Amino acid sequence: MAGIRLENINKKFGKTEVLHQVNLEIGDGEFVVLVGPSGCGKSTLLRLVAGLEDITAGNIFIGDALMNRIEPQHRNIAMVFQNYALYPHKNVRENIIFGLKRAHAPKDVIESRLSKVVNILGLEDFLARKPAQLSGGQRQRVAMGRALVRDAKVFLFDEPLSNLDAKLRNQMRSEIRRIHREYQTTSVYVTHDQVEAMTLGERVVVIRDGYIEQQGTPMEIYLHPDNIFVATFIGAPSMNILDARLFDGYVELEGCKLVMENGTPGQHRELPKTGLPVKLGIRPDFFIDRRHAGDGEALAVIHNARIDLIEPLGFDKELDVQIGSQLMKVRLDLRTQATEGDTIDLCVDMRRTHLFDIDTGQRLQ
Amino acid sequence: MLGKRTWVENGLLAAAIFVVVAFCLFPFVQILSTSLKHQFDWGNPSLIPVKLNWNAYGELLGIRSAEQVDVPDSVKRLLENPSISESQRRKILDRYQTTSDVFPFLRYFLNTFMLSASAAAVSLCLSVFGAYALSRLRFTGQTVIQRSILFVYMVGGVLLMVPLYQMSVKIGLAKSVGGSLVSLLLIYIIQTLPVSLYMLGNYFRTIPYALEEAAAMDGCSRVEAVFVIIIPLSVPMLMTVFVYCFIIAWNEFLFASVFLKQFHQWHTLPLALQTLFMSKNAIWDRIMAASMLTMIPVVVCFLFAMRNLTGGLAEGGVKE
Repeated sequence: MAGIRLENINKKFGKTEVLHQVNLEIGDGEFVVLVGPSGCGKSTLLRLVAGLEDITAGNIFIGDALMNRIEPQHRNIAMVFQNYALYPHKNVRENIIFGLKRAHAPKDVIESRLSKVVNILGLEDFLARKPAQLSGGQRQRVAMGRALVRDAKVFLFDEPLSNLDAKLRNQMRSEIRRIHREYQTTSVYVTHDQVEAMTLGERVVVIRDGYIEQQGTPMEIYLHPDNIFVATFIGAPSMNILDARLFDGYVELEGCKLVMENGTPGQHRELPKTGLPVKLGIRPDFFIDRRHAGDGEALAVIHNARIDLIEPLGFDKELDVQIGSQLMKVRLDLRTQATEGDTIDLCVDMRRTHLFDIDTGQRLQ
Repeated sequence: MLGKRTWVENGLLAAAIFVVVAFCLFPFVQILSTSLKHQFDWGNPSLIPVKLNWNAYGELLGIRSAEQVDVPDSVKRLLENPSISESQRRKILDRYQTTSDVFPFLRYFLNTFMLSASAAAVSLCLSVFGAYALSRLRFTGQTVIQRSILFVYMVGGVLLMVPLYQMSVKIGLAKSVGGSLVSLLLIYIIQTLPVSLYMLGNYFRTIPYALEEAAAMDGCSRVEAVFVIIIPLSVPMLMTVFVYCFIIAWNEFLFASVFLKQFHQWHTLPLALQTLFMSKNAIWDRIMAASMLTMIPVVVCFLFAMRNLTGGLAEGGVKE
């Protein structure tokens, strides 16, 4: 096992630069998720680590060894591909042990590793089958097995679950967590699915247009996004970004005065606080129906929000709500009795909201 | 309704197919039939021999010796002339009595087989790597090379025959049997390479690149990946390409007739057939039997290729 260090990584395809001065350090045994919209360069970054693409500038270290000029087959990395990439002419068993055989591992080592992996992944009954005779989920497990069986320093996952249906995806997600707990191998996992990123990552790295926007634990990213992009990308449904004005001690949103209890505006004294236009970010999950709000909490109230649409999701209800001219998503629990067309008073804990600069999109703090 | 035919339509279709197939097969049936007929039967338009005659096949395959031709009376009389020396007499008699040069079919068969098989094998080896380079690697001048390979194929062989022969004469290859065979081998390889490259290149493009990347992650170099992944997955296409090259070389007449003209022992079957056709041994059943035997490997190859053309080996490895 080994950590990974990326220093000032630059990658160009022809004239297009897809990664700009990326710096990232991944600790030994850490599980890091790279997340971002498609085309942001996250897969490219992973392939640079794997050696499947050449870096244009910068350095990649695995452990302490510089990897820039090392061929992929000599990097001792295992990778799970988005499209599985199983060898069609080999059966499951041959697929899994292929890497070990290439490395001339002794027979008993091969057998013991194989049986362990097969056990973990539940592939006992399929060893003699060819990939074409397997379902998508089984193929995915074989692809995982091929990576796990090797004593690789690093595991790379390139959107391994994106071809599975929702149920299988959840199942495999927990499986990957369990596997990582057991193997403790340094892992880099690429996904565009922020749910996967949140649930799997010990650390999440949000990438956009070849820049790292923010990195941190899933909860740090969820609760303290650095900018509007991260705020809206992480979390589903995504954060409401509303036009508001900042005054001393409160934010005004469509005529509602939302008092900031812990004096957030006081923290950026350099700002003029008399009606500075800002973006106010509120997650749909942080709204509470006023009728169900506890008395002790200091909550700001948005009055007379008009309900456009209600989508019951079981435990939750997702509401499209209009305040003034602005639309927002609100998620309330099932106690809410409101119906479409009603108006509702919504409470918000202002400590959970964010103010963003209207021009740069950066969080004001 | 789509796909439903009445019995009349079915019948007409079957008849049409029968006519086309019969038209294509007729010459072959004619060859087979004549090869099995006795001399008295040759003029008979019926395709079924009155009495089966296996002698021609027997002779060609060396199972039985060729029939001796009787020395005509006029020649006998000529030989009685005392002014002819003993050696001259032997010579004249030999022309009628030796049977060794009737048609050494097995020898020609072997010549042709060795030449075709080696040309096909070399062509296949070269085209595996050439096609891999053209379909997978990116290098300067790639498009130019790719186009010119097909361009070579557009030039007819007849145009190249004279210059190629002159070349091999000038570098001294045409002098010896070995040199001539080598030049012929080279020509067959060059002739079949463009299409081999094209066929294999297109096939390689259908093999997902991710498989090679997976092999790289499993510790294979690029060349190893070709051997471990690409070649096993392309077996049907490799066989097809081999058969294609083999058949081209097997049937080739033009270049062989020029390069091997002086080396009778090394004639290939198409060439030998033509010689047989014009020799004193040109007997119909023999010619036709030789043609039949020449055709067999080609037919076998075709059947073989057809079985392998089903493809689908690369399925299931990659989610499309």
